[in-house]
Amino acid sequence: MELRKENKVLKYFLITISFIFLGVFLILPLVYIVITALRDGISGYINAVSDEYAIKAALLTIQATAWAVIVNTIFGIAAAWLITKYSFKGKKLLSTFIDLPVTVSPIIAGLIYVLTFGRQSGLYPILDSYGIQIIFAVPGIVLATIFVTFPFISRELVPVLTAQGTDEEEAASLMGAGTFTIFRKVTFPHIKWALLYGVVLCTARAMGEFGAVSVLSGHLRGKTNTLPLYIELLYQGYDFTGAFAASSILVVLAVIVLILRLVIENKGNKELDLNK
Amino acid sequence: MTRRKSVIPGFGISMGITITILSIVVLIPLCSLVVFSAKLSLSEFIDTVTKPRVLAGYYVSISTAFIASLINVLMGLILAWILVRYDFKGKKFIDGIIELPFALPTAVAGISLTHLTTTNGWVGQIFYNLFGIQIAYTRVGITVALIFIGIPFVVRSVQPVLEKIDKQYEEAAFILGADAKTTFKKVIFPEILPAIISGFTLAFARCIGEYGSVVFIAGNTPYETEIAPLLIMSKLQEYDYSAATSIALVMLGISMVILSVNAIVQANVSRRVNGKI
Amino acid sequence: MGYVELKNINKHFKNFHASKDINISIEKGRLVALLGPSGSGKTTILRMIAGLENPDSGEILIDGKVVNNVPGSERGIGFVFQNYALFRYMNVYDNIAFGLRVKKVPEAKIKERVTELISLIDCEGLEKRYPSQLSGGQRQRVAFARALAPNPQILLLDEPFAAIDAKVRLELRTWLREMITKLGITSIFVTHDQDEAIEVADEIIVTNEGRVEQSGNPQELYKNPATPFVARFIGNSVEVKNYEKFRYFEKCSGDSTAYLRPEFVSIFKKGESVQFANSAEEAVVEDIIFRGSNLEVRVRLHGNLISSIRSINDSEIKVGETVDVFIYRLYVVAGDEVVLATNTSLQDEDIVI
Repeated sequence: MELRKENKVLKYFLITISFIFLGVFLILPLVYIVITALRDGISGYINAVSDEYAIKAALLTIQATAWAVIVNTIFGIAAAWLITKYSFKGKKLLSTFIDLPVTVSPIIAGLIYVLTFGRQSGLYPILDSYGIQIIFAVPGIVLATIFVTFPFISRELVPVLTAQGTDEEEAASLMGAGTFTIFRKVTFPHIKWALLYGVVLCTARAMGEFGAVSVLSGHLRGKTNTLPLYIELLYQGYDFTGAFAASSILVVLAVIVLILRLVIENKGNKELDLNK
Repeated sequence: MTRRKSVIPGFGISMGITITILSIVVLIPLCSLVVFSAKLSLSEFIDTVTKPRVLAGYYVSISTAFIASLINVLMGLILAWILVRYDFKGKKFIDGIIELPFALPTAVAGISLTHLTTTNGWVGQIFYNLFGIQIAYTRVGITVALIFIGIPFVVRSVQPVLEKIDKQYEEAAFILGADAKTTFKKVIFPEILPAIISGFTLAFARCIGEYGSVVFIAGNTPYETEIAPLLIMSKLQEYDYSAATSIALVMLGISMVILSVNAIVQANVSRRVNGKI
Repeated sequence: MGYVELKNINKHFKNFHASKDINISIEKGRLVALLGPSGSGKTTILRMIAGLENPDSGEILIDGKVVNNVPGSERGIGFVFQNYALFRYMNVYDNIAFGLRVKKVPEAKIKERVTELISLIDCEGLEKRYPSQLSGGQRQRVAFARALAPNPQILLLDEPFAAIDAKVRLELRTWLREMITKLGITSIFVTHDQDEAIEVADEIIVTNEGRVEQSGNPQELYKNPATPFVARFIGNSVEVKNYEKFRYFEKCSGDSTAYLRPEFVSIFKKGESVQFANSAEEAVVEDIIFRGSNLEVRVRLHGNLISSIRSINDSEIKVGETVDVFIYRLYVVAGDEVVLATNTSLQDEDIVI
């Protein structure tokens, strides 16, 4: 503080630039969505969001998001535990594969599922004989959503578990505790905030995924349209009020996610301080 | 896979769950990509990816992503700096809102940015009337969408590093007579450079593959504002899987190069700082 | 008048009064230790001399000139940081050259000076290494050279040995003392370790709760603690409340406490001492701790656990054994006064003989 007189001009210049930048790029689009959604009045808004197809799209989005959260939570815990508690060959490779999905374009993610489960694939006749359809159907949407959010939970858990080390688990194990007891009593208290944080991030990304889902959805109104796809449909049909009204639902969810993020981060930090 | 014996139980079950889910979600689909690619004929592959329209698509994607990521490096550095070094009203708000691009669905951002920047949109008309610049439906528009997408990357990679820099380094430079500019250039900047590179490459890789926010604002005119992911999308809609895969393989190659550059930089840095030579 | 002087210095950090009316005078060429427990304000004093903090009130003088408004970089000081703060992205050569480069010294001169310093700190051949590739001792030497490069008149060191292994620390103490004596540079270092201060410094300034308790050369401090805090802090003192029960000691004043150091106590096997045969008291050995070069013997005397040092060459004493204990003297603290109380049998003997 005393080191040097803080350069006041520079400080307020940088802060002003930052506010303008974020104001134009982040706040303005949000405000615009809300204003446009309400352009035709409250009743117009309510009509738009209570449209039968809008509700069906919202339900499908919730379904896909729930699957992504469940699968990625199970996977995230198992993978993070595996990576941080044991040393084995191939660990680096495993981490690379887990992180791969977020570095791939969502369109390419969609593409590889089309190649895997589409008509030209070797798996297609087998799945077809059991009456299972994956692409252009709900399972494809669910898979795509899992894929694009794949590392979100493990990525939050690994640093926490690494920092915690293996001493406590080893101690518990030497005292005779089994896997699930160790996890529940020893490990879980350390990771609960990180896990919740990962779930929040996973939810946010899952409900908003557009590219990969767009490839795998047959764009069947009321059947395989998620909320973002439904918004695209309305937008291309020049129903801007409808598109922005449906968007506003996702905006509200995004804001909730951001607030939850801050709350969880605060709680987690406080607990960390207490442990020190 | 072999492992050193550990007293902690649960290796089998955690390995089982991890490999099963990883296989279904990532490994099998990836294999099918490899298998399908192997069936492509080389001449057909080269023919597809060197079509002028495809080359233009790559150029549009890479150039806009590069410019957007550079702008985000500058803004990300400023944002990280004010968040770590200054106290001001609304700091918490800024810290929270920075994650918005992660939380807001890309399609929603896309339509909103498009409407704002058309020649009669709130922002677009200012630029059109004052400078004659069209934003939406041009490469400028694509860049704007990609700036939105890339905002959190540089901030979030520089911020923790800047927080951790020991104040002693700056004090040492100060006592040895360095002014603020020299201290930043010689002491602080080298510390945060690896984080800047890491943030830049992550943003760059993400922006090259971005689709949702860009399709609305791009206008999608072939050779002008048609991005590479959109080309893959249209090939898929024509059920031309070979062409789609060819274009995708080149894009995967580009992302891999970008991410490896970062990996090499980070490895070199950690070798120097941690003294493992 | 001192070369470095602090006059009536006060410093607050928010509500914390870190320096309370500090007055210090340090002569040119001295090697001074600022000694005190953590939080006693010793580092704050050092940082104010360096210009890293500004006092709320009072004056700092260097060579007779008030330097309160002179930036640290123009006060002619070198600073060795606690964790050295070597620039991680610069090699040894560039680290040492940094202070000269920012002063725009010609590169040829820089080379000459850096080479000279590298040979002074015995680090030839390490010029191209990065801080991470150096041992703790080498890092400290490089930090020392970096601070010396611009030819400062005063060298300030913040806990210079804290980050080093115990074994290397002893070597470095001697090395640093020799080095500073050779250069004749006025040096001030901060430490919480009294052995370190006593061994290295010409003069010790003891701080406590933001105040200077006492300053003087190590022997003086050891023999004549001026304040209760110094009496307690220096030496491995044991607190004794009921010291009047000890033979040949009298209660000084109503509310007082005594502090007893191991070197004030002698312990003998029964019948071992002729001199103190009549004046010693009996006590039972509770514990014997091997200290490497000697033994610490702990005995219970009038409810107090008292330590004494015994040579390993003396005949063996066992736990539970009844021994003779003789106390030469102790410090009695009554209010703000410290009095050295001597065993009255010694005075009697003086008179008799």
